[in-house]
Amino acid sequence: MLDRELDKNQKDKFRLSLKFNSIRLLETGFNPASWNMALDEVLLMNCTNDSPPILRLYGWSPPAVSIGYFQSMEEEVNVDKCNDLGIEFVRRMTGGGAVLHQSELTYSFITKSYPMNILASYELICDAVVMCINKLGFRSIYVPLNDILVDNKKVSGNAQTRRNNTLLQHGTILLNVDFDKMFSVLNVPSEKIKDKMLENVKSRVMGLNKTFEEVADKLKVSFSEKFNAQFILDDLTDKEKKDTEKLVTEKYSAHQWNWKK
Amino acid sequence: MLKTAHNVYKAKKLIKISLEYMDDGNVIKSIRITGDFFLYPEEALDQLESSLIGTEIDRHSIKETIENALQESEPFGFDSESLTDAILGCLKP
Repeated sequence: MLDRELDKNQKDKFRLSLKFNSIRLLETGFNPASWNMALDEVLLMNCTNDSPPILRLYGWSPPAVSIGYFQSMEEEVNVDKCNDLGIEFVRRMTGGGAVLHQSELTYSFITKSYPMNILASYELICDAVVMCINKLGFRSIYVPLNDILVDNKKVSGNAQTRRNNTLLQHGTILLNVDFDKMFSVLNVPSEKIKDKMLENVKSRVMGLNKTFEEVADKLKVSFSEKFNAQFILDDLTDKEKKDTEKLVTEKYSAHQWNWKK
Repeated sequence: MLKTAHNVYKAKKLIKISLEYMDDGNVIKSIRITGDFFLYPEEALDQLESSLIGTEIDRHSIKETIENALQESEPFGFDSESLTDAILGCLKP
């Protein structure tokens, strides 16, 4: 029994540590929702066995709401309000819930090497995010499947998918949260319980009140330490840019995709 | 006669069901399952929705259909029991 448990613990330890020689670092700035989601998919689908893992850091301009792959735009998003406020909306290729991307750092991590076990792969990558948040002076914990909490409040949500024998995990690290705007663009079941829901979310979600640059610096250090890897700062290739523009037009700005459900 | 019903069900994640069913034969005519859950691979949900069409609306048939359809996939945020409850909840007054 003890042997078996030791064996399992050793396997867990092995499973949760992964070393890369290098990680390709892409700092792609602030871009529209459809471009952000298209680039994530391009990086995932263009990954080859020779590609190093990729860490991409980015933001959203204009602000946008993204919904999870299994959600309905009609059910989740007040599209008229988004249009009034100049907020874009897009469906992600990953599951999870609707997010207002306004004051946050978003990361994507794309790798060919990862634990097959889904929970273990979330934990592995989220651990780098936990390390980042802790380096900023907080005590954060990973809560399966996809949340990172500080003082019992969500500060980071994460989601992943697997395609082309490659894993993509993207996630947000909240800098500040505009709860009123969030509740104006996300649909709530009824106006009657809106105030109660707003208070509930305020007690369960918070921003770190740090700058994008502060979080980006610590996230880079954390990924480097977690995977024992050097960064290769890189730009997008012409092919990646071209593929992204194509996917923006054909998928992420198309009604057929965004109103799939 | 064709009837429509909706239900929002809180499992570990939120599941929203839109159901069309024939009340004479008590059979699912169409179903849409949405929510903030995760399912790997993602395409499994389309297959699950297709499998449920024609299924009799009783706990055993629905749960069995879900379990068969999700054999090769991994859901997070719901399981066959909670999804069955979510679907049956459409018929509660």
